[in-house]
Amino acid sequence: MLDKSILTMLLDQALKKGADFAEIYIEEKRVSNVFCEDDRIEKINSGREKGVGIRVIEDGSTAYVHSSDLSIEGLQKAAAVAAGTAAKNGGGEHREISLSTKQALQDIKFKRLPEEVAFDEKISYVMAANKVARDFSKEIRQASVAIADIHKKIQIANSNGEMIEEERSRVRTVVNTVAARDGLIQTAYESAGGACGWEFMESISVEDMAEKAANLSVKMLSAHPAPLGRMPVLMSSEAGGTMVHEACGHGLEADLVQKGLSVYKNKMGQKVAAECVTVIDDGTLKGRYGSSVFDDEGAYSQKTVLIEKGELRHYLYDYLTANREDKESTGNGRRESYQHKPIPRMTNTYIAPGQDDPEKILKSTSKGLLVKKMGGGQVNTTNGDFVFDVQEGYYIEDGEIKYPVRGATITGNGPRALMDIERLGKDLGFAIGVCGKDGQGVPVSDAQPTIRIKELTVGGTGSNNGPQIKRIRRM
Amino acid sequence: MKELFTAIGERIIDDARYRGVEAEAFFLHDRGLSIEIADAKLETLKEAEEIGLGLRVINKGRLGFAYSSDLSDLAIQELLDNAISISAFTVADEHNVLPARVSEYPRIELFDEEISASSMERKIEIAREMESAAQNTDNRISIIERAGYEESEFTVHIMNTNGLYASARANLSSIYLFLVAEENGDAQNGFSVMSKKRIQDLQPDAVAREAAHNALRSLHASTIASGLMPCIMEPYVFSRFLAIIARMLDAEAVQKGKSMFAGREGESVGTECFSLVDDGTFADGVASFPFDGEGVNTRRNILVDKGVLKTFLYDSYTAKKAGRLSSGNGQRSSFRSLPSVGSSNFIIQPGKSSPEQLIADIDRGFYITGVMGMHTANPISGDFSIGANGILIQKGKLDKAVRGVTIAGNIAELLRDIEAVGNDLRFFGSKASPSIRLKALSVGGD
Repeated sequence: MLDKSILTMLLDQALKKGADFAEIYIEEKRVSNVFCEDDRIEKINSGREKGVGIRVIEDGSTAYVHSSDLSIEGLQKAAAVAAGTAAKNGGGEHREISLSTKQALQDIKFKRLPEEVAFDEKISYVMAANKVARDFSKEIRQASVAIADIHKKIQIANSNGEMIEEERSRVRTVVNTVAARDGLIQTAYESAGGACGWEFMESISVEDMAEKAANLSVKMLSAHPAPLGRMPVLMSSEAGGTMVHEACGHGLEADLVQKGLSVYKNKMGQKVAAECVTVIDDGTLKGRYGSSVFDDEGAYSQKTVLIEKGELRHYLYDYLTANREDKESTGNGRRESYQHKPIPRMTNTYIAPGQDDPEKILKSTSKGLLVKKMGGGQVNTTNGDFVFDVQEGYYIEDGEIKYPVRGATITGNGPRALMDIERLGKDLGFAIGVCGKDGQGVPVSDAQPTIRIKELTVGGTGSNNGPQIKRIRRM
Repeated sequence: MKELFTAIGERIIDDARYRGVEAEAFFLHDRGLSIEIADAKLETLKEAEEIGLGLRVINKGRLGFAYSSDLSDLAIQELLDNAISISAFTVADEHNVLPARVSEYPRIELFDEEISASSMERKIEIAREMESAAQNTDNRISIIERAGYEESEFTVHIMNTNGLYASARANLSSIYLFLVAEENGDAQNGFSVMSKKRIQDLQPDAVAREAAHNALRSLHASTIASGLMPCIMEPYVFSRFLAIIARMLDAEAVQKGKSMFAGREGESVGTECFSLVDDGTFADGVASFPFDGEGVNTRRNILVDKGVLKTFLYDSYTAKKAGRLSSGNGQRSSFRSLPSVGSSNFIIQPGKSSPEQLIADIDRGFYITGVMGMHTANPISGDFSIGANGILIQKGKLDKAVRGVTIAGNIAELLRDIEAVGNDLRFFGSKASPSIRLKALSVGGD
């Protein structure tokens, strides 16, 4: 990490031609991946990287220069390029920058850094999961298991005199299984991850994950094609929070709101969801995949209530968008790496639990789709239309789970879906993911309790009048 | 840069030979510029540069890999040590091979001097021009979300212990536009993108017109009743499916039992009007390059010919396993990872009918202009169920806008349902498709 005097010199350089704001972001990271497929360790990858991103903001225009050259000459060159591209008038007033280190509000300790773990130990986890998945059934045709870890140190200094340092470690593991029967192929996965050291692997069971994935892919071989049309949808808490992430999270990011690209623009203080709905983004949840001490601009991570009892309370801000409205950043300025400028992003986003007994919610559902596991999703924030994929779904009739269905996708409209939430369970389940926006992927988690939505569109290949005749596919 | 890479590469190759391992040094130097305009003002300007080295070793059949963005002597020494020590943990596999020396690479026009020679002002002006052209198309265009210009320039340099030496550089420029049209409280997005090997071929006006058209035709959309109906996919929509089809034709997926096309070479997998090629040498293709990520010369490979599956995409490993030659498809997205099978310019052969002719005899159908959640489609099972929007076809004519519906099916079945292929071939990145007409597709709405 760089010395204060060098950072100050670089900031001076970046401001030389006159600018409102300058920032230096330094990152050093070590990554490793262990990947098993075809019943053997297929790839092991280890890498080291470091780089700098220099940002200069002048009259709302952002110049961003990044480089993997961290020599003094390289850094000075990058700062000069950033200064030159941002300034239009040139020759601004000289500003004295005096950097002071911002103290962390949380004390995060990693018991074991991932790079201190030998590859044979990492391999033993991977192979244990592989064995469970493969032994589960003869119908499992392929299994892959991956563990990826990253340990990075970041340092940020800006022309407001703020300076922070943070060390981050993340570990993630994914099991994928492929099952086949009579030419029909079904897949399933289980993933887990945390903003933790290697001790994370001791807090989970990779064997259980492998069994769950294998079981699901085999079960889906006998599933019916998903029904088609509008129907009530019940999402269990273990399904994860893709719905909340897509249906409202993205639309509350201030850059989209300010550009007029969100259905939630001009809705502050208004009712945007059913009264039972409270939505929170919290980057301080210990060990959660989207957590950190600071965001990637040096603001403290925080808990932000976005929707409270159905009313819109807050948007998610980074430094630039907050500045435009004379507000404080909500600690949501995040970036994938030194190669990206920070933008407003979610961290850990969830719908707060309600009062209902999850079991009773199911019992009171006369017909509809039960989503036990959500896959990926996408949203068009301008009109609020969202879609997500159902990894594990069941058809419900008379308060009972009738049969598994496969190939379902759910589409809906964000504000309408939030208004249509009828029941909220007292449980809460998290899922991890990598959220993509403007070509940047950042780690997030999301969660929701068991919820029932009055009506959403389910897209499948079946029709919705009763049990299906299974289609036979011949290869 | 070439001299520096050659010098470091020689040292690595010598060291590797001395230590008794096979090795491949993959160097990448890339530079990028991106400009985004908002309200005729420069909003973001980004300049990027990175250098890195990915080192693959094969130690008695065992694979090791490590990478670094630090090319100092010390870092490179550590890199070789790391790659060799990692190789101790992987399983020996006789199919782990490095390609042999290539005597001659295809000659392709790759570098447009004008991109680097053009001033920043000119590039900003291209984006501005596009923005103002879009604003002037129609007074319902209310927001320009982003009007951007992008360019990238990269040098790839590969050396291995078999004496292979490959070095080339290429560049590329693109423009893109995202906007919103609004009318009576309804807001809809439109976008368009254009990538060209030559900066002078960029057409900001055409991009502006198309983005505006896309947004305007989506206004006041509603859903339609569920059902099975004939569908037409616009080139952009089918190009998204091509990304999944490419993964299904990847020899690695085939060999691992993760493709529905496994064991089906020589068989019919689609209708006669469906032909597909992968061509790393295609003139003006954005993915054209003389060699792949392992230094193997690129070529034109016919994958599906009139519906018959001819071959898969191979890198050196999968080729060796299949007892054949690499097809030049060992792709690498950066120096940070091992090569793996991937497509280059992936092109559906166009047909004879115009899009209007494709629509003309459909009584009731769905003209699909956009899809959502494409990343949830499953390349292994081929199943997809995704969000879609577009226009209802009534009595051979485009009728009202449709949104909030889903389309679902299986890609293998979809290829057998292609009734006709349009003459309007378009590239989106490296994937090129004309309009595609499908006999029937399951549409989920009300």
